[in-house]
This record gives sequence, structure tokens and C-alpha cells, in this order.
Amino acid sequence: MTATLRPRWPDAIARTVVVLLLAFVIFGPLANLVLWAFAERWYFPNKLPQEFGLAFWKRVFDPRGNAVASLGTSVAIASLTVAVTLAVAIPAGYALARLRMPGRILVLLVFLLPQAVPNLPVYVNIARVFYELGLNGTVLGVVLVHTAHGLVLAVWIASAAFAAVDVSLEEAARNLGASPWRCWTTVTLPLALPGLIASAIFVFLDSLDEFTGTYFVGVPDVTTLPLLMFNASMGGNYQIASITALLLLVPSILFMLLVERFLKADVLAMIGR
Amino acid sequence: MNERSWAGLALALPALLVVVTFFVAPLLMSAVLAFRGKDGGLTLMHFEKAIEFYSTDLLFSGAIVLVSTAAIGAIAVAIAGYLTLGENPRTVAILRWLYRWPLFIPFIVTAQVMRTFLAKNGMLNHVLTGVGLLDPLQAQSLLDWRGIVVAFVWKQAPFVTLLVAGAMAAVDRQHIEAARNLGASRWRVLFEIVLPQSRRTLMVGLVLSFVTMLSVLSVPLMINPNSPTMLTVDIAYRINSHGDYAVANALCLMSLALASLGAWFYLREAARKADGA
Amino acid sequence: MRPFKIPLTAIAFATGVALGAAAPAVAQTTLNVITAGDQNMVDYVNNFLGPRFEKLNPGVKVRAVGTGPGDAGSQKIYEKLSAQQKAGAASWDVDVAVVHQRGAGTMVKESLLAPFRNEVAAGKLVSRDTAKNALGANVDGDVIPRFHSQIAFAYNPAVVRQPPKSYAELADWVKKNPKQFGYNGVKGGMSGVGFVMGWVAANSGMAEQLEKGPYDASKKAVIDRSLAGLREFNQNVVLTPGNAGTLDMLNRGEIAMGPVWVDMFYTWLADGKMNPSVRLALPQPGLPGQPMYYVVPAKAANGQIARRFVDFAASPEIQAEGIVKQFNWYPGIDAQHVKSKMDDKSWNKLFTDISPEALASYGRPFPLSGYFTDILEGYERVVLK
Repeated sequence: MTATLRPRWPDAIARTVVVLLLAFVIFGPLANLVLWAFAERWYFPNKLPQEFGLAFWKRVFDPRGNAVASLGTSVAIASLTVAVTLAVAIPAGYALARLRMPGRILVLLVFLLPQAVPNLPVYVNIARVFYELGLNGTVLGVVLVHTAHGLVLAVWIASAAFAAVDVSLEEAARNLGASPWRCWTTVTLPLALPGLIASAIFVFLDSLDEFTGTYFVGVPDVTTLPLLMFNASMGGNYQIASITALLLLVPSILFMLLVERFLKADVLAMIGR
Repeated sequence: MNERSWAGLALALPALLVVVTFFVAPLLMSAVLAFRGKDGGLTLMHFEKAIEFYSTDLLFSGAIVLVSTAAIGAIAVAIAGYLTLGENPRTVAILRWLYRWPLFIPFIVTAQVMRTFLAKNGMLNHVLTGVGLLDPLQAQSLLDWRGIVVAFVWKQAPFVTLLVAGAMAAVDRQHIEAARNLGASRWRVLFEIVLPQSRRTLMVGLVLSFVTMLSVLSVPLMINPNSPTMLTVDIAYRINSHGDYAVANALCLMSLALASLGAWFYLREAARKADGA
Repeated sequence: MRPFKIPLTAIAFATGVALGAAAPAVAQTTLNVITAGDQNMVDYVNNFLGPRFEKLNPGVKVRAVGTGPGDAGSQKIYEKLSAQQKAGAASWDVDVAVVHQRGAGTMVKESLLAPFRNEVAAGKLVSRDTAKNALGANVDGDVIPRFHSQIAFAYNPAVVRQPPKSYAELADWVKKNPKQFGYNGVKGGMSGVGFVMGWVAANSGMAEQLEKGPYDASKKAVIDRSLAGLREFNQNVVLTPGNAGTLDMLNRGEIAMGPVWVDMFYTWLADGKMNPSVRLALPQPGLPGQPMYYVVPAKAANGQIARRFVDFAASPEIQAEGIVKQFNWYPGIDAQHVKSKMDDKSWNKLFTDISPEALASYGRPFPLSGYFTDILEGYERVVLK
């Protein structure tokens, strides 16, 4: 990149203003979240909370409230969902991008359905089927429902990622005598990896934020933190909703940092190959 | 049909099985309710009622989601474009760190913070009046269609940006350098080289956002559930206040039709691509 | 390079966490209490009822789960029970549920509940009409009210010097003070719905008939006519986003008056989200109220313990200490049993703004379900179009 430019002040000012504006747009609402997490008294005409404190944190972390265990369950379910989703989505995405397939458009559309339909009426039926199968109240049941919901993110994005891989690179590898499997693992997959990793992040977040399916399939034996967040938020219980949202931020960001570490390592590993 | 096409289907089969078993089948179980009359016979009565009561909301939902998608696309291209072509490394670094945060905030929390942020006596107006940009008497609430759009864009723009920035990063730098050396402006490079090569990813992100926004209940419910509002609110209302699954499912199918319309653009392109393959 | 590093790591990580999460200490029996309503309903079971009940019943662990506020929360409980019924499950995973009237009516109609009231001692302490009749559905014997709640106008006395005594006065006040009154329409929760019901009761001359019947479908025209006035009224009010949305706008001083659930109002006050100077008032001919019910599902896995739990929760001591003293909610069982168990000062706190007489004459039940539907759909046709 040619970064050796003379300083151009109007540009620098415009840049600063735009970045500051963006920072306000992004952190303004988030500031509200943080304020409510610590507000013990806040009402008109006060523009900021009159009293700060940790009383609501104590309520959330009350041992009987099970918030910590719920957070653990949420993370476990989200991680398992990512594993299951990627395991089925990578072959599907590859096939959709690179192979001929009968009814390809229909297949793409089918994956989209869980995101596209308001899902409350559907989960009622899933609950009924899962009760018949004995899957209700199990982590596996919740993982399957989350997988179905997040699958489109993984399949579509994986398909786009595989489609973007340059076929000539694969052909070159094959011409050099690589087996199809070796070609796939050393050329195709690494090139599609950034897209796959992005999809893993989205699937993780999708699962971590889900509450309707978890309620119908998991409750009362499996409870996750978003259920508490949903309850609190819908009832206008801003403090508890904000605290649970902040708690959910932790695994989300950790997961993102974790996968990006792998991303960087692998991209670096590719250089010079 | 040749061997290769069967291989493709076989590879996609596990994923398909998951989605068909755990979503499509239960969806069909409830979709039939939309066509069943009190006597068990086939009827379009529920659709008639849905249209009589909620056709405005159908249009409103479509309009909201369309406006939001357009804004998301513009913002995503602008940010991802700057991340790819920006010449000030510090700004690029700040921007890369900055734009992602809303990704980690669930829709329901987004709705909650926007409700307190965009209200008449909310934080936005406090800040604007505080710095003298707004006369306190002219402060108004944004908690109508604008609030819904703001919440959607705030939450979904980072999602599309992340995808598009990834795709743009994969564009061959030599093409970009060559064009820059020939004197092309950054805008031209963006629109004529970088964007066309990441178009498919942009479409994927926008279509996913489009359909997701159509199915989100918490944002319209917490920002503006009053008329006109989005179909998801009407669906929840038919179920919770009337126990009326028939009209609710009819509305679901109408919402699905709207989503398919959005997906159509992507699928058409995907089909074209497949034909060329 | 190892391309499969990520999935493998994820699986290893996930299994580790799953094992860690799936190993809480298990008591002999877990009693699942599912409750609709705000988070404080869950906290009430977790922090107040649960520990006390467990002390009396060693080996039982009470687990509370919330399903969200309003009828939506009750509907989700209904759906869970209905799913188990349709699946033919031998025993159901909900032992005690706390639901609103509409939900209870549907559950009784579909035989999802055990008729348990006469099997427990506390069942004799309820004689109020709403313990037998839920929006026209006969729930006699199937429910015990947990507490009674009431919709009332919350108002800021700095702006509203004299709260309106009737709907006509309110309409006048709204004309003089545009955009100072707010309610949440009909799609955002029951406090708005209740206001609309109250409006129709006041303006159709059908107040009695709406509650007591008989249902007469031809009255739709009368209902629609009374709603026409509401359309005009709406021009000068703010429509708020939901039950909590009305309280939220009162919190920020964006409206000066609006219909709220009294129990929610006190929660907001206790959580520091409401200016303590805000007061409550009930106009004539009144606003609806409703109890939330304890119910025991027909095939509850722990039906006997569930009955003991409800009996305990509805006992006068617990109602006095938990419902009235701690939350400032109107008791679910008959007042005289509760009043005798507590000091007058705490009891009278219930009636700071709304006198027992006003509550008795202006606290009304919701209309029968036939009228209820007609009014809601009339609102959508007449007011929203």
C-alpha cells in the first residue's frame, strides 16, 4: 500500500470527524447498555443515573438464579452447534458451489427457510415431535434446532467461499500429482477458510442469541442465558437485561478472537507455499 | 443426470436432512393450518382475513426491510471499501476494531437500547441538545419506522461488512495497484474492480439480512408495535391475544413469500452461475 | 498445515464445557415451576418461595423458569403443555405453572390441567369470582390465584393536578394536553388492551353485559360506534411500545399519564426506574384487572409435590409476607385471611393511591372472550384503519 502521502489536513479532519461520528453511533447505544447495567436509580428528569451500584449484578449472580451455569450451557450449546453445523455445511457448501446438482435453487432456498420464517409457530411443532422422540430437554435437541437455524449462514457463506476459489490453482495441484483429497485439503479448503471462519462466528452468535427454540426444546432441563435476557428485556427489566447482554458479550468476543488467531496463523502458513 | 450430480447431492444430503427434519417438516405441519377451515375443509378464509386486516403491515414490512437492506449495503460497501483501499493505516485499524461491536449484541438487546437511545428524552437527543445541535423544544422521538430501520441497520451492517471486507481482502492486490498506478481514483477502483469481484458475497450478506429482518419480532415489538407495524408483531398478536394459529400461519406464509422475493435476486444470480459452470 | 484444526478444537472445547455444565448437584426431586410474567415472578419463586418450601420438604429442589411477560408468556406455557399432550407423553415436565386468565381458560378447555383446588387446604380461602371464571371460561377447581393485579392510570402529579375521574374527563384532558397521555394500543400487551376494554365499557353503555353476558354478536355495531370516539382520541395521545413501553415513557417524562399494571408499576418503583412522586388512580366505570393463577398440569411428573407447593404458596402467611409485604401486590386469596396475618401499616400500603372502595367498584374483570375478540378486531378495523 502506498501510505507515503503528504499530510493533507482537510482530509485528516474529515477522516477524524467521520470516525468520531461512527464511534458515537456505535458506542452511544452501547453506553446506554453499560449505564443501565450499573444504574440503581434513573428516572426523569435526570439525564444520567442518580445512583450506581451492583445490586442487580448480585441478583443475576444469585446462586439460585443459575446465571453462571446457564452461561456455561449457552457456550457449550453454541460450540457444539458450530461443530455440527460446519461438519454438514462444508460438504454441502462445496457441492453447491462446485458440483452440478439437481434442484440446486430449491436446495439453496430450503436452507434459507429457518431464517426467513417467523419461527414461533414452527417451534411449537418441533417441541411436539421432540417430545415424541425423547429429544426434549436434552442438549442434543437444542443443538439440532440451533443447527437447523444457523445452517443457512454456514452453507451459503461456505458456498460463496468455495465458489471464489480459483479452479486453476486446484488444477495446478492435480497436475503436479496431488490426490483429489490432498488437493482439497491443501488448496481448496485453505483458500475458502476465511469465509468458513466468518460463518463459524455467525453460527456461534446465532446460537448464543437464540431463545425461542431453546425454550420449546430445552426448558426446563436445559436453560440458557438468553432465556433470562429475553424475559428481562421484554418486561422492561433494563438492568438485568443489560447485565445478561454484557455477560453474553464475553464468550462472543472470546470466540471471535480464538478463531481469528487460527485464521491468522493459517493464512501466514500459506504464504510461501 | 450423471454421476457428478449425484455426488453433489450426496455431499449436501446431511445438511439437507438436518434442515428438512428439524425445520421444513414442522413448518409444513403448521402451514396446513393456514388452509384449514373450522370444518376441516380447504379454505382461503384465513388469507382473506390476513389481507383484510394486515395488508398495510405487509407493505410496511416490505418497505422497512427494503430501506434497511439498502442502507446496510451502502454502509457495508463504504466501510469494507475503506478497509481495503484506505491509505491511512491508523484509520483502517481503528475502523476495523470499531465497526464490529453491534455483531455481538442480540436483536432483542439492540431493540432495548435503541428504545432508550432514540426516545424523545433519550440519550441521542440529550447529546444533540447538549452540544447545541438541537433545540430542546424540537426534540422528537424516533421510535417509529425510523427507529426500526436504525435498529436493523445498526445490528446488521457489521454482519454484511465483515463478509464483504473478507471478500474484498481476497481480491488480487495487483489489480488494485495496477489501476491505482494508472491514476484511477479510489472510488473508481472500488466500484469497477473491488466491488464487482465481491458482488456475490455482498448479495449473500444482503439477502440473509433481508430475510432475517423480516422474521425478527423483538425489534418492531419493542420499538413500534402500533399500526402500521411489521408482520411479526401481527403474528405474535394473533397467537397471544386470539389463540388464532390459522391467521398467524397465513401471515407466516405471506411473510415467507416476501422473503422469497428478496431471495429471488440472489438465487437468480446463483442459477446463472450454475449454468455457466 | 492442519486444515481440520478448528472443528476438532471446537468439539474438544465444547465437550469439555458441556460436561462441566451438565453436572450440577442433583437433589432427589426437582419441582419445575414455570411462570409467565416479569423476571420478578421468577425471582419470587427462586428467592422467596423456593428456599422456604425446600426447608419444609427435604429432598425437593424447586427450579423456576420464566417464559416472559403478558399473555405471550402464558401462551408459551400452554404450547409446551399442548405439545406434550399431543405427543402422548406419559408425564409432563412442568409441575406448577403460573399463568394469566386467557391461558388458563384455554388450558382447561383442552384438559391440560388437574382439577386440584379442592384437594388442598388453601383452595378454601378463595371465593372471588375470578377464581372460578376466566374471561368466560369456567376454571372453577382448576386454579388458585397467586395475586390479583389491576390496571390503573399512573400519572405525574406535577403535570396532572387532578387525575380524571371518568373517560369523558380523560378525553377532555387529552384535548387540552395533547401527547401527554400514552397507552400501548392492542398489540403491545394487556395494559393497552385493558384501556380499550375500559373505554368501550364506558362509551357503549354495555359495561355490565360485557362482563356478565349473554354474548350477542349483533352488538358489534355498538362496539364499533364506541370505538369511533377512540379513533379521534388517539389523535392526541402517544402510542407506546408495550406494557413496559408505557412505564418506560413515564420514566423519561415523555408522557404524564398512562394505563399500567399496578404490579409492574411497583416493580419499576422498587427497581429505581420510576419517579416516586408518580401516583395511581382508577377512573369510573373502571379498568380491568386479572389474577395470575397457580395451576397444576394434568400429567405433572410430580403432581403431589406440586399440590403441596401451591398449597404452601397460597397460604395466608406466605401471601401476607411474600405477595403483599414484599411486592405490594394485591393478594390472590380472599383479603380477610391475609389481612389478619399482618400489621395494618403494611396492609394499608396496598391502598395508598387507590382506596379499597374504589378498587371494589372500579376494578373490573375483562370482558367475556366473545366480546373481547369483537372489541380487539373492532379496534383494528375502526381505529387502526
